[in-house]
Amino acid sequence: MRRIIWILWPSFVVAGVAEVVFFTLIDPQELYLFGEPVHLSRTATYSIGFFAFWAVCAASSLFTVFIQRSPVFTQR
Amino acid sequence: MKKSAPVPEHQSGTGETVESSLYEARKTIYMRSVTGLFANWRWALVWFTQILFYGLCWLPWNGRQAVLFDLVERKFYIFGLIFWPQDIIYLAILLIISAYALFLFTAIGGRLFCGYACPQTVYTEIFMWIERKIEGDRSARMKLDQQTMNGRKFSLKFAKHAAWFLFALWTGFTFVGYFTPIKTLTAEIFNASLGPWEIFWLLFYGFATYGNAGYMREQVCKYMCPYARFQSVMFDSDTLIVTYDEERGEPRGVRSKKQDHKAAGKGDCVDCNICVQVCPTGIDIRQGLQYECIGCSACIDGCDKVMDKMGYPRGLIRYSTERAIQEKWGRKEILAHLIRPRIVIYGLLLLFIVSATAYGISTRTPLRVDVIRDRNSMSREDENGMIENSFRLKITNASETDHAYLVSASGMERIEIQHRPSISVEVPAMKTETVTVEVYVPPESGTKGANRIYFDVKAVNDENIAVHEKAGFMMPLDK
Repeated sequence: MRRIIWILWPSFVVAGVAEVVFFTLIDPQELYLFGEPVHLSRTATYSIGFFAFWAVCAASSLFTVFIQRSPVFTQR
Repeated sequence: MKKSAPVPEHQSGTGETVESSLYEARKTIYMRSVTGLFANWRWALVWFTQILFYGLCWLPWNGRQAVLFDLVERKFYIFGLIFWPQDIIYLAILLIISAYALFLFTAIGGRLFCGYACPQTVYTEIFMWIERKIEGDRSARMKLDQQTMNGRKFSLKFAKHAAWFLFALWTGFTFVGYFTPIKTLTAEIFNASLGPWEIFWLLFYGFATYGNAGYMREQVCKYMCPYARFQSVMFDSDTLIVTYDEERGEPRGVRSKKQDHKAAGKGDCVDCNICVQVCPTGIDIRQGLQYECIGCSACIDGCDKVMDKMGYPRGLIRYSTERAIQEKWGRKEILAHLIRPRIVIYGLLLLFIVSATAYGISTRTPLRVDVIRDRNSMSREDENGMIENSFRLKITNASETDHAYLVSASGMERIEIQHRPSISVEVPAMKTETVTVEVYVPPESGTKGANRIYFDVKAVNDENIAVHEKAGFMMPLDK
């Protein structure tokens, strides 16, 4: 459980920051996906964007947790 | 939460393998309710922050919601102020102000924010109040949890979760109400026409409230909050913290009220454990400052009551500083040490940033002009021999009233705009208009190549709304 918190919680915070910065600078209506303008509503783009950020950050945290489990860190 | 995470093989120096868990399983904390000065302060702040949170979204202003973060239109409304994406600098400043305020208050009074104003504390306090009203205080709850499931236990648990759920749902609804106008949201709920993302975020935030305040509680502070980890950097030996007066209290021990405990060689601590029972993070403050302590002062309130009952002076556990305990200072000396370089520097910086920001916001012009040169032609000569440059002006009316603006150009001799001294452009409230303007100068004015010119955009009915924007005018090189 604590490991899940380690993965999901820091990534949630960082994704929130990334979301704010990214969508302040870039209007979702100006985004292109596979060469096509995004047809989703702004709310939908914001929401999906947030979860995409969260997923990417969570992947990074997952990797960190994985590396920390290696013998280098547990053998002292 | 019950399961502890076993750490893989942990080898000691002798090579033998020891399986150890870094964590003990979480023990449910049954916090005893407490009343007193600091509990009253906390409740006052719970009321204040929550009336603000649940109420502010219903307040109208200028025919719109007073505080609305309209993500769809990409505009943030805060009473009379409107922030556009271009104003992100104010968000950065707001974060800097919050950080300095946190430094300042932490240096003065420790974790004041955690103990009184943090949403985690506030919602936990509310959820625990609901829990107490339904299941009873500490001992009743412990007894209830030890019982096997029965009709009474089920109905109490059901009532508690239902109340928590409704409260969490209302919180989620209010949260979404800051992004979608709350009146629209209410209407949508009654017409069952709520958008999928609105439903999602309502449930998401509601679930987060329910989980954090109902289940996670002190674990958020202990394991998730970064502030708890770096608080010690902001502390110094003159910071007010919740402290147990060890010299006065020890050796602790149970005694009868009539006994002359000092003669018996005992300290003032009666070892009643009230301070531990009221602690929301389940620590024993008598072991000294610990990172789990959120500075809520519940133990002070609890201990003072016991001291009153015993007829001892209050303050065995009190707000004090490390140095004050060492040097046996009273209130006067503690207050005298409140002002120290660190506090003065934080205070002055904070004051400077806040006033500079307030000045910046109050003198903001609700008009923005972006000048874009026509990339297709550098310059052109018209039939009368005048040199022409073409520009696109993006005029944004950032106010909540419609405006007509006079656009004129300056910076070169006999400069004209559309062959007139000025032109008029009307822009509705909160809208952007793009106009293409041709600017003319006689061939003898300026120099070859680029010349600095200025566009002046002024509101017709308000002289204070004016923008002076520079641009480059190209004269032919073969003049």
